[in-house]
This record gives sequence, C-alpha cells and structure tokens, in this order.
Amino acid sequence: MIAELIIGGLASGSLYALIAIAIVLVLQATDIPNFAQGEMSMFSTFVAYTILNRYGLSWWGVLPLTLVLAAIQGVIVQQVVIRPLLGAPVLNAVIATLGLNIALHSLAAMIWGAQTHVMQSPLADVPNFKFFGVNVAPDSALSIVVSVAMILIFTLVLRHTRAGIALRAASQNQAVAKLMGIPINRAFAMAWAMGAVAGAVAGLLVAPIVFLDVNMMSPLLIKGFAGAVLGGLGSLGSVFVGGLMLGVIENLMSAYISASFSEALSFLLIIFVLIVAPSGIFGRVKTKKV
Amino acid sequence: MMTQASPATRFLTIKNSMLGLLGIFAIVASQFGGGYMVYLINLVCIFTLVSIGLNLLVGFSGQISLGHAGFFAIGAYASGLLGKNLDMPFWLSIPLGSMVATAIGALIALPALRLKNLYLAIATLGFGIVTQKLIFEWRAFTGGGGGLQVPLPKFADYDLSDGRHMFWAILFCLVIGAWMANKVAHGRTGRALAMLRESEVAAGCLGIRISHYKVIAFALSAFYAAIAGGLYAYLVRYINPESFNTNMSIMFLAMIVIGGMGSIPGALMGAAFYVIVPELLRGFKEAPGLVFGLSLVAVMVLMPTGLIGIWRKFEAKKS
Repeated sequence: MIAELIIGGLASGSLYALIAIAIVLVLQATDIPNFAQGEMSMFSTFVAYTILNRYGLSWWGVLPLTLVLAAIQGVIVQQVVIRPLLGAPVLNAVIATLGLNIALHSLAAMIWGAQTHVMQSPLADVPNFKFFGVNVAPDSALSIVVSVAMILIFTLVLRHTRAGIALRAASQNQAVAKLMGIPINRAFAMAWAMGAVAGAVAGLLVAPIVFLDVNMMSPLLIKGFAGAVLGGLGSLGSVFVGGLMLGVIENLMSAYISASFSEALSFLLIIFVLIVAPSGIFGRVKTKKV
Repeated sequence: MMTQASPATRFLTIKNSMLGLLGIFAIVASQFGGGYMVYLINLVCIFTLVSIGLNLLVGFSGQISLGHAGFFAIGAYASGLLGKNLDMPFWLSIPLGSMVATAIGALIALPALRLKNLYLAIATLGFGIVTQKLIFEWRAFTGGGGGLQVPLPKFADYDLSDGRHMFWAILFCLVIGAWMANKVAHGRTGRALAMLRESEVAAGCLGIRISHYKVIAFALSAFYAAIAGGLYAYLVRYINPESFNTNMSIMFLAMIVIGGMGSIPGALMGAAFYVIVPELLRGFKEAPGLVFGLSLVAVMVLMPTGLIGIWRKFEAKKS
C-alpha cells in the first residue's frame, strides 16, 4: 500500500518537478518568476491535442512538433513581453506574466471552449504492470521516466553545449558575459524556450491523466512553485527533488491524515521547512557582498 | 507621494485639486448613481484600502506577500462573526476583528524575517491557502463552504445596508487610512522601511532594528487588509471562503504595481483599474479576459512606473 502511494506521489511529484524546472530555468537566467508558465503549458497541450485529433498524426509525430512549437512560444513570449521589461523592477515582469496568464487562459477558452476534452494517452493500451511486486500504472511510470530524462537532458545542455555555457554565464553576470561576446538576448531567449519545452512536456503528461481543459494547469503551477522553493532554487537537481518530495508528501498525507487537508498541510510543512532552511532544503544561503 | 520633497507646503496644488474633484465625483456618483455603479465605487474604495496597506509592505519596505487575501478573509470573517454571534455593531466589530488579523500579521512576520523574494512569496502564498482551508473546514464556526450571512450594518438605529449609505462608512475609513499611511510614510517608520528596502545591511548598520520594522510593516498591512475585509463583509453581507483565494492575493499585488509602487494615489488608480476595466470590457462579449490580460501587459511594458508614472512625467515636464 505504502509503496503504491509513494509511486503515485513520485508520478505527480515528477509533474510538479517539470513545472518547477520550467520556472527555475527562466528564473535563474532572468530573475523573473514566470507566472504565465501554467497557461503556456496548457496552450501547448491544446495545440498538441488539436494536431493529434484533427490531423490524425500519431503520438510520435505530434511530440516533436509540439516541442518545437513550445520552444517558439517561449521565444515569442520572451521577445514580445519580457524583453521590453529588461531593467525594470522584477515585480513589473511578474505582473506582465500574470497578465499573459489571464490572456492565454481566455484565448484558449475562446478557441477550444470551456468544456473538458479527453486526450488519449500514448500508453492507452499498456496494462498496469508489477515492478518488484508493486502495482504501477503505465502513465505514472511514463511521467517519472520522462521527467528524469528531461532533467538529464537539460543538465547536459547547460553544462556541455556552447549555448548552454553561454546561458549560464549570462545568468551569472550579464555585463561580463556581454563583454565576452555572449549575445545576452539570444541566451535569455534560449532559457525561455527551454522553460516552455519543459512546461509543454508536463502538460502533455498531465492531460491524459486528468481531463484536458483550460483550468488544467493552474493548480500545477502553484505546486511547481512550491516544490521549487521546498527544494531550493539554487540548482535544477534540488528543484527536481523538491518537486518529487512535495508529490510524495502530499500523497502520503492525503492517505493517512486527511484528503481535504493535504494541500494546506503541505503548505504548512513548506512554511516550517523555510523557517529552518530559508533557502530550501538543499539551497545554500547566498552570502551577499555589501 | 514619496518623491515629493515637501507635500505639506502647498495645499492647493493641481494634484490636490484633482483628488478633490475625483472625491466629489465619487460622492455624487455614489449618491445618485444606479445600484451597480454604487457597488463598484464601494469596491474600488475597499480595494484601495488594501492597496494602501500592501504598499506599506511591498512598495515601502520591499517585502512581498501573496497571502493578503488571507488577511482580507480574516478581517471579513472576524468582524462578521463578532456581529453575528455577539450582536456587535459593525463600527465596533470591524476594528476588533482587524485587531485579530493584525496580531496574526505580526505572527506571520516572524517566520518571514529570514525569507526573501520568491521564498517569501511562496510562504505567504501558503499562509493564504491555509487560511482559506481553515475557514472552509471549520464549519461549526464559520459556516464553511455554505458561506456566512453577515448582519445588517447599523449605526445607532440608522440602517446602512444600502450601498449609498455604506459608502460614507467606507469613505471615512479610506480617508483616515490614507491620512494615516501618509503620516507613517513620511515619518520615522516610513524612512526606516524605505531604508530596509534599499539595503537591510545598511539599515542594520545605522541602528534600524530590522526585525522590529519588518513586523510593523506586516502587521500594518494586515490591519489595512482586514479593515477592508470587514467593510467588504458588511457591504455584500454574504461571504464565502471561495472568493478569498490565491487569485485575490495576486490581484492585490497587481493593483499596487499597476497603480505605481509606494504611492497612495497610485493605490487608488490600481484598484480602480482592476475593478473598472473588466466592467468596461464587458462589451467585448468573447474576450474580456484576453483584453484585460493584454492591457496588464501593456501597462507594464509601456508604463514601467505604473499609472501614477504618467502623472509624475507630466509634473516633471511642467517644472
């Protein structure tokens, strides 16, 4: 029983983790918490749904197409909404992403309607299987595997590609990076594209589990933020573990304590963790020079 | 407000006369307008009160809160319950209820002392969610999801349940609140808070007690939000925990950024924008959300200092 609960928690936690990574990729590069990430993911998922159902492509055709479109979406958002706000206070950018969130939500409702849609799972005909004697739903396994793969890919890109190193340099010190000949704007656009791709993957994974509708992502967005903060915003790894932990804690609490209180309890827990460790569990306290 | 060197030296400035005209317009519209218009004006005043308080926390001391819907809800429920269970008149139950919220605000400040930026934002967001959940689940006391019927607001047998009459009570609170915030902003506390925003280390070196002032900022802004919540409860007379959600907290934050940080007229402009623009957009049958969202983006991109920035630019050009 407890093993199943943990697996289920890991599955939802890996979705939180993906959203958290989408947020932190952008946050580390540009200091902006992207409150539009939820609806950006929802929008990408609806695009995938449309391609899947109207044009009859298979999942394996839809997936790369959606990811490319998501990357373009991220770049467009960065260029149109975020770039003019460079140098303005961070809160301005936060409110702008919030506005974008409302706009995208309403636009999606206009295009696809407010009703729920059923998105087929890529693993629809795979039965539940046993993993060391524990029942595992194929969708859960897929979420976990895909999110682990995503974080590996992102880490590799950031560490070992030219563009990734440029991005990390740009996020550490814009002025110096610029002097080194790094195109700052392109680096930031890449961060937004990567964030949007991570978000789109989360949307594609969550849509077959719950129903696809315009409100699908808003609870996930808050959980993503919470998971990121729980782990600590310093590195992708800690963010990822934070998301997973949040999922497992929530699942265990709703099973053993109270289903209706599980969300409030997990936030209480996060507040207590932050009292003890103000930069998340794995976060190092940044010492700031005066 | 903040940037003006000596606001008290000249009374009859353009700004003051504009504010006066606006006040007269609001009074006339609230007394002779239709019921819905009166409701909207009251709502703008209530949200302005929240924005003024939140401005002390965010605009002046540089903290952040995504949980002010929680304080708003506590104010609404505490004053509503005092009125309902103890038959207290509304002018007594609102300040008493707000005391409760202020104490909670001071308590919340304690864990918040060590937190910054997004960590603080998420911790306060958690406070808002926990508060809403508690109101939902404590059915015997709060009525839970069924909502709470708030008694009629009465002032010595004089019935204020009509929005036109309630307006006077709300306006009274708003004027007192704005005056008080102005005093705080230009006094010792305001200077300490501004220093806190610029650099905590420097503030500490100057002998400003950082934790002391952070607690004050949280408690004060909680007080404003709770007074506004109490007024809201007696204005609509039926409250439901559903409405005090995270979106409301985010909306409060958006109001002060749109209006302009650290400015009391800005708080009014932000609240008015948030209440009135969606009303104006009702004509666009398909897409009020789309236009409203894009207008938020546009205000931020075109006016980085908020709506009050237009006014400041105008003043700068003139002098």
